[in-house]
Amino acid sequence: MLDHNQLPLADVNKSLWFPEQASSFAEGVDWVYDTILYISLVFFVGIVIALVWFAIKYHKKKGEPAESQTSHHTPLELLWSIGPSFLLVYMFVVGAISYLDMRTPPEGSYEIGVEAYKWGWTMDYGGGTYHPELHLLLDEPTKLSMRSSDVIHSLFIPAFRAKKDIVPGRYNYMWFKPTVASEKVSDEELAKAKKATGTDAWDYDEYQFTPDGYRFFDLYCAEYCGKSHSEMQTVVVVHETQEELDAWIKEKASRPDDVAPEAWGKTLYNQRGCASCHSIDGSKRVGPSFKDLAGSTHALADGSSVTVDPNYIRESILEPKAKVVAGYNPVMPSYKGQLSDDDIDSIIAYLKTLAE
Amino acid sequence: MSAGTLPSNVRDPGFPTERENYLTNSKGFLSWFCTLDHKRIGVMYLIGTVTAFLIGGLLALGIRLHLFSPEGWLFTDNWLGSSVDKNTIYNQVFTLHGAIMVFLFIIPSIPAALGNFLVPVMLGAKDVAFPRLNLSSFYLWMFGALFFIGALLSSGLDTGWTFYTPYSTTTDSSVILATLGAFILGFSSIFTGLNFIVTINTMRPPGMTWFKMPLFLWATYATSIIQVLATPVLGITLLLLIAERVMQIGIFDPEFNGDPVTYQHFFWFYSHPAVYIMILPAFGVISELISVHSHKHIFGYRFIAYSSIAIALLGFLVWGHHMFTAGMSSLTTIIFSALTFTVSVPSAIKVFNWLATMYKGSISLTTPMCYALSFIFLFTIGGLTGLFLGTLATDLHLHDTYFVVAHFHYVMVGGTLIAFLGGVFHWWPKMFGRLYNEWGGRLSAAIVFIGFNLTFLPQFVLGSRGMPRRYATYDPEFAYLHQMSTIGALILGIGLLIALVVLIASLVNGKRSPANPWGAATLEFACTSPPPYYNFERAPVVGDPYDFHDIFWDAENERYVTAEPEREIVPQTVPEESPAHAGGQN
Ligand code: HEM
Ligand SMILES: [Cu+2]
Repeated sequence: MLDHNQLPLADVNKSLWFPEQASSFAEGVDWVYDTILYISLVFFVGIVIALVWFAIKYHKKKGEPAESQTSHHTPLELLWSIGPSFLLVYMFVVGAISYLDMRTPPEGSYEIGVEAYKWGWTMDYGGGTYHPELHLLLDEPTKLSMRSSDVIHSLFIPAFRAKKDIVPGRYNYMWFKPTVASEKVSDEELAKAKKATGTDAWDYDEYQFTPDGYRFFDLYCAEYCGKSHSEMQTVVVVHETQEELDAWIKEKASRPDDVAPEAWGKTLYNQRGCASCHSIDGSKRVGPSFKDLAGSTHALADGSSVTVDPNYIRESILEPKAKVVAGYNPVMPSYKGQLSDDDIDSIIAYLKTLAE
Repeated sequence: MSAGTLPSNVRDPGFPTERENYLTNSKGFLSWFCTLDHKRIGVMYLIGTVTAFLIGGLLALGIRLHLFSPEGWLFTDNWLGSSVDKNTIYNQVFTLHGAIMVFLFIIPSIPAALGNFLVPVMLGAKDVAFPRLNLSSFYLWMFGALFFIGALLSSGLDTGWTFYTPYSTTTDSSVILATLGAFILGFSSIFTGLNFIVTINTMRPPGMTWFKMPLFLWATYATSIIQVLATPVLGITLLLLIAERVMQIGIFDPEFNGDPVTYQHFFWFYSHPAVYIMILPAFGVISELISVHSHKHIFGYRFIAYSSIAIALLGFLVWGHHMFTAGMSSLTTIIFSALTFTVSVPSAIKVFNWLATMYKGSISLTTPMCYALSFIFLFTIGGLTGLFLGTLATDLHLHDTYFVVAHFHYVMVGGTLIAFLGGVFHWWPKMFGRLYNEWGGRLSAAIVFIGFNLTFLPQFVLGSRGMPRRYATYDPEFAYLHQMSTIGALILGIGLLIALVVLIASLVNGKRSPANPWGAATLEFACTSPPPYYNFERAPVVGDPYDFHDIFWDAENERYVTAEPEREIVPQTVPEESPAHAGGQN
């Protein structure tokens, strides 16, 4: 079922051309865009009118001579070569000025680390808290320091009008100031969605809110990065108060007491990008399937073999390139420093449930 | 051009005989595949590039049908089976679509297919300067195409046509085969360019000064300069890429202390000028078309000629605008943005000149003219939307979204492809000696125009709303715009099919074409249609290529004829015993 939000022109009141303006850059960028649009439209409409009008007015029968054979007019030509150049200079200048603003983060910005990998995101909130969603504070200038563990990715938040490539081998930075807070959906709605989803991975597109009940902005990978490039998406949630953000971070820091290790392991499997490379139904993806993995024996690329015990699983998570399974490429990123011991134990517990 | 009574001294070469006609004067497979005749090589290129286009076009329809629904409609488990990865298939399809269209179609289409046929005839020469080099560049093209097919058939190619590192140095697909293919195609391109430069420099007939050359030749000359100067950079870049993949020498791959952004600099240092290899010849074609079908002297000849050269040179300075988001220093970024705007000026000049040429003309809405009008409309959109991408603040938002996809399709498809089609319709009677059905031709132009806009206009909106490019699946809120686009692509496909049918039908049952079906004043319309093997019986008389005063409509025989003596003859053009320009003999 399509709801009215999905109709193409339904939000013309907001804007036909853009998603919602949700950062301090958005207004400026949209203004530059509109300026160029109007200048272009003036020229375009003029050109098309001349084109159509001439084609009709000077349409002649075969053999009738043209009314004029004027072949040049230097002042006119100089005028139309030089005149528009002033407009071009104007566009360049307004574009460059807003660009410089977007390049220089204010002193003392709130900092979040971002790691991009095939095909997912890990945001580092400090103090050992990692999560794929990007959570921000309203009106707080925020700087992302970003790195990639494999190929080039690009972090793009359309609602913020912000984009930056993430080039492996260097740190790339970007900053923005969110200006619109994410609403929270009602508890009933959240409960209903949770019940319908059961324990499966959360479908952000279907519900248009996060499993914590926040509405969100889309965050895409904009630089082609291979097979699941189009699934390399996450969401941005903007909190109204520092307390709310801190509470959220704290909640994500570690396994809540009332959650069993197996269930937490499954959550991590879905959240931390394992699922993009390892299936749980036996099918082969970029990496070996987790089905019936624990306890089995694997042939390795160097010819030896290994029994998949907790030690081997732990090593594969922290030092993925140390023992590579025969038939696969050493492409898995290391999760060293990103998963706590309890997280790893939970994943091991979860893998065991898949081998029973 | 005048109507009314004909002067007594008209000249009409009539129709060629079987023996002098280049198509029929010798027969058999070898007479084509070993030919040194630039016209036959041109025709072989035409067949080759059009075939490449049809394959690329089918892949495009595959892309569009797949994107009909957010989760992907065409490549699904239903017929691929669950063992094949659907996204991988999509990625290979868009990569091959892009690579085939760029390397096998757009770059060679106008220069190699139309250029080979036209450059010598427009010069009044017998052949290009190096006929054997010309044949070898065709074989190199075929060879390069085979490598691409090899890449497709072995393990596919999924890097996008840009082969960005480090993805391309780490993926399993046939990067080496495909880059070798592109490398070989580069040689083909360089040879063609060299040949044209020498031909135009040395084989212009007496009296054809630089500023008496048709603008198509100016455009070809400017293009050739880029081909010769820029293509070697691509060649070296691709060799380095192969070396990196095989030996891991650490130029581009950060794992071995290389820098991926270096690759982007190298790549775009070729590929941005290459964009002008794609569009400059199109400008040349459109200048001819607008002037001839308006029967009016081209307006601002010198400005148009100079602007081609300006574009060729400025085109080398702007490559950095592909990398505004990649992390260059702010200063570099700003300099590249400023330089980028300078290229818009010469392009805008051309559009104004074409309009001024139509003003007070005697316009015939023939098929080539319909395509030319469509070109001006579409290219203007393509050019203006480039301003959004050259402006830094807006580019950050639009880069790598569908806005970019729409922009370069307006330039490359709405520009180059449409000019190519217009050119093919314009010179078809000359090439094959047959007239086609005008109504069919115009219908194809109209349907292509509608289909094209329906395909790519929605993509501007998709892009500014944030839809990234190269996505196999997407968020449901983008579905409507994607669906419009897919329907447009189907209509576009129908239009192109009609054009193909009209042209092929003309070979079967078209009327024979007179020497000068449109009343043009350039030299290729002074010989019979199709031209004789050596192009001209005697060296043609050179005048202003856009002077229509001595061209008359002969209503009785329904054809244009030329009255010779009335044209102002440049003094030294009266041919000598053995004209110096009669090159190309064996
Ligand atoms: C029937 C007409 C065509 C349609 C419907 C079409 C459609 C598309 C689509 C949907 C994409 C993928 C965009 C993305 O995911 O990034 C694409 C990419 C591309 N197309 Fe076309 N296309 C058409 C004709 C052409 C032609 C004639 C050219 C010749 C220059 C061309 C050149 C390209 C290039 C260079 C790319 C970029 C590939 C890349 O992402 O690297 N297309 N096209
Ligand atoms: Cu990515």
